[in-house]
Amino acid sequence: MILVWGNLSDTPVERIVDVLLERESAFFHIDDAALPLMTHDVVFTMPPTGWIELHGQRLPLDEIRAAFIRPGELREARGLAAASTLSAIAASLDARVINRPAAGRSNWSKPFQLRLIEAAGLNVPETLVTTDPAKARAFLARHRRVVYKSVSGVRSIVTTLDTHQAARLDDVSTGPVQLQRWIAGRDVRVHVVGDRWFATAIESDADDYRYAARSGDSTHMAATDIPQALGERLVALSHSMGLLLSGIDLRADRHGEWYCFEVNPSPGFSYFEDMTGQPITAAIVELLEGKERHAVLPRMGRLR
Amino acid sequence: MIVVVGSRHDPVAMELVATWPGAALCSAEDLVSPGWAWTVGGDEAPTWVVEGRTVADSDVTGVFLRRSAVYPAELLGIHPDDRTYMASEAHAFLIFVLASTRARVASPVADGGLGDDALRPEQWMPLAAAAGLPLAPLHLRSGHAKRRALNSRIVEVVDGQVIGDMAPRRQARIHRFVAALRLDWAQLLFDGRQRLVALTSMHSPTPEAATALGRMLMAGAPS
Repeated sequence: MILVWGNLSDTPVERIVDVLLERESAFFHIDDAALPLMTHDVVFTMPPTGWIELHGQRLPLDEIRAAFIRPGELREARGLAAASTLSAIAASLDARVINRPAAGRSNWSKPFQLRLIEAAGLNVPETLVTTDPAKARAFLARHRRVVYKSVSGVRSIVTTLDTHQAARLDDVSTGPVQLQRWIAGRDVRVHVVGDRWFATAIESDADDYRYAARSGDSTHMAATDIPQALGERLVALSHSMGLLLSGIDLRADRHGEWYCFEVNPSPGFSYFEDMTGQPITAAIVELLEGKERHAVLPRMGRLR
Repeated sequence: MIVVVGSRHDPVAMELVATWPGAALCSAEDLVSPGWAWTVGGDEAPTWVVEGRTVADSDVTGVFLRRSAVYPAELLGIHPDDRTYMASEAHAFLIFVLASTRARVASPVADGGLGDDALRPEQWMPLAAAAGLPLAPLHLRSGHAKRRALNSRIVEVVDGQVIGDMAPRRQARIHRFVAALRLDWAQLLFDGRQRLVALTSMHSPTPEAATALGRMLMAGAPS
């Protein structure tokens, strides 16, 4: 049995459910809206035992061989206890879980995650996190053009600054800001699914292609190839963070040097699938249907 | 210098600052004050802001954490509309600083979490079992929110030293468990049947543990 936890109004979850239905795979879906109705009786040992029940259907935990977890933001306090229980189950289940709740938390602190990426042997752009306007201006003067982005996982629009806009850096004195050396080149998003990867080249006039339409810019995406060694390194990076599915943002500079910016633990893969026709959903479902259990728990992502 | 990361409204944090020679408090307001600079891939010397002053990371020997989050209500100097966002930013920044400092950090920092947020049961439960510590099963049933009162006992571990009277064999198991987790500071909660119920780093340290922590944090990171 495959457990799916997420909202059908969220396209990636809808895609997974559609493919599971097409393939006639047995699955048990829990929508966030149904959480207040879920009952459970679970003993947390290693692994957890017991059951969860929804709409009269009971699911013993030892029948779960895999899980796809992508909950939305909880709007009702009534579902909180069930959500907490489901998260704890997903964290410790003896099954293949895409992804365990804690696995992607390094993304909550982008510079912390950048250090994990660097420790995994990938190039990262030189980065300064500061509340010191003088140091921010010196960083801009050294690199001529920098990217200005949030420190936390809170979604923000990435913007660039050049030396003519140095006065704006006075604002950093009111809270930490992350500045990165601008790297000119070609954006590539790589989705890692288990041991496979799907690379998408992105061409956009916008600083942040995710918001190209808002700024009146255009974006073009196409499936592309990346070097085998890079793909293998990205798989290793993803697994080192305990992630079986990830969306990794890269840029290749004009010398062919690859830089890694971020690992997204809950990627909106359906958008890239729509733009390129890459069979990402099918690959995720094949991973969920895999024969062997994936009992290995994510490692503790820390630097020392 | 020992930096206690916490709030001036936390009496435990303030007592530790008063007890440890040369210790100072790094508050939420400090986290959003001018003077911080930390790099990835750069060679600039990193700096903290502690009690409003800029401090070189090389002057900090140890860090003790008394918070697992930065709360919007703490950021009184920030416009109310921006406090929630800035609290997230300050929290994320603190994780990065604690994971990057050369100083010894007594509390765990991992997976984008601080303190107890970084001590996940699915990580420590198998290691406790492997070290020979029996685990108290946690039973959750919908509609049953009532908790039994625990006849509990807390055992503290500082820098590999298990504090409190107990049989050497049990002490060795606790030592093995905490070493496997690579924790410098931990408190283990046992029930009346000597089963491990919880692992934390956020309770107040006993005077004996506080003294050992002060010694460890003054000495700095092992070379």
